Amino acid sequence: ATLCFQAFLQMCNLPVRVICRPNAEYMSPSGKLPFIHVGNQVVSELGPIVQFVKAKGHSLSDGLDEVQKAEMKAYMELVNNMLLTAELYLQWCDDVTVEEITHPRYGSPYPWPLNRILSYQKQWEVRRKMKAIGWGGKTLEQVLEDVDQCCHALSQRLGTQPYFFNKHPTELDALVFGHLFTILTTQLITDELSEKVKNYSNLTAFCRRIEQQYFEGHDRDSSTIAAPSSKRSLLK
Amino acid sequence: MAAPMELSCWGGDWGLPSLHPECLTVMAYAKFSGAPLTVNTINNSWRTPKGDLPVLVSEDIVISQPAKILSFLRKQKYNADYDLSAKQGADTLAYIALLEEKMLPALLHTFWIEAENYCSVTKPWFASRIAFPLSLYLPGKMAREALNRILLTKGGPPLYSLTEVEAQIYRDAKECLNLLSKRLGTSQFFFGDTPTTLDAFVFGFLAPIYKVCFPRVHLQEHLKQLPNLCRFCDDILTCYFRLTVSGHSPAGQDTADANLQKLTQLVNKESNLIEKMDDNLRKSPQHPPRKLTTLKLAAGGEESSPMSRLSP
Repeated sequence: ATLCFQAFLQMCNLPVRVICRPNAEYMSPSGKLPFIHVGNQVVSELGPIVQFVKAKGHSLSDGLDEVQKAEMKAYMELVNNMLLTAELYLQWCDDVTVEEITHPRYGSPYPWPLNRILSYQKQWEVRRKMKAIGWGGKTLEQVLEDVDQCCHALSQRLGTQPYFFNKHPTELDALVFGHLFTILTTQLITDELSEKVKNYSNLTAFCRRIEQQYFEGHDRDSSTIAAPSSKRSLLK
Repeated sequence: MAAPMELSCWGGDWGLPSLHPECLTVMAYAKFSGAPLTVNTINNSWRTPKGDLPVLVSEDIVISQPAKILSFLRKQKYNADYDLSAKQGADTLAYIALLEEKMLPALLHTFWIEAENYCSVTKPWFASRIAFPLSLYLPGKMAREALNRILLTKGGPPLYSLTEVEAQIYRDAKECLNLLSKRLGTSQFFFGDTPTTLDAFVFGFLAPIYKVCFPRVHLQEHLKQLPNLCRFCDDILTCYFRLTVSGHSPAGQDTADANLQKLTQLVNKESNLIEKMDDNLRKSPQHPPRKLTTLKLAAGGEESSPMSRLSP
């Protein structure tokens, strides 16, 4: 998710510095990551950050008409609903991944037994949420199928255009880029998730294009991209 | 292929075929795609609802979630999205996600969590349709599930109290309604002239808010300010569910028409009378303005002719 913000801020031509901190969740005003610290203001989560940036005079979606804005919001919800939930599921509800990757990573800044306690707590929380929205009963195959459906929809919507709303990037592009890039570059036990995304060549081309356009030539950004594991500890 | 399919769902009231949004969605989709479903409404029988409704039973297959039911129907060749382009199919998915994220919490809240609504409308209605003693337990369970869902998905910090969460979800729902209204515009359905999956979902979510008479109704008032969405719901109800929209019986409608006719006739008669009076007035000779007496004194010869003209 951090990547969505970096992409968004880059698209607005605003300079941004990324800092990794283990207690980042507690520094954020809403408990959610990431958040930005501007002067003496702290703003977290995509919605408020977009509003904040808009209030300062930068907006990516001014050129859209009402119907397109409605579509953009709908697609953003789709991405949040499907991709974000699938990522959470894979990290916390798939037993193999949880044991091998998530528990060590989440608990790494803390000494034993705090690391185990905190990661179990987080896992229990995530599983409760999954159950409430009806994903509790889903198997990994079903989740992957949902991700596939979502990517199919995104691929159809993108078509052969450079961005989702033709010539100019919008918040939706930043969001999609963030999620897809994370899926493509994070190492997991199985590569099935990234395989699903790679099936859609226009989506991979889209990611590469945005990476080249907005992230090339920034040393600190390439270092954060090359170290997805440290980035993930910031995310969750 | 034509295996008999049975749909079990919650019944309806206030002009709707069902009160439950997911049941409504499935019923609407079945009507749009022409699928022959026999609909079984749960009605105080001992056949207790297992798990969540709606449930589709076809031969030995039991399917329970709306999305799965719809894909099953599509596999049976009852497809309402046949004419859609791939991009429109993608839009459908996106808008359904929007509905679930933004509208569903507010819908759940209006039905199950708002205390006045729950106690006076929802609980009695559902309890009357479930067999005793389950009627004591099941509505409470459904309310607890709804609260759980809302708190877990929306209730994280910085929203710490339920009132703040409520304010946020109603704001989201109103924004969602506005977005839907803009997307619908003036067309009859979301993708042209034939209804599709998206229309079924939107109808399923909006119709309960629109029609059910709750004591606390600010979302309904907001919806009524968006006439194209109201017209959309009414159209689907009249065309596909053959229920009169305003709730008048057809006989009542006829008498209203007869009264209207009589009134028109009376008005016509009145206007005829008024016209006649007008004509009479116009035809009746008017008294010309009286000439001054100075004329008489001026010329004696001309006196006779003006005088003759003066006489009626």
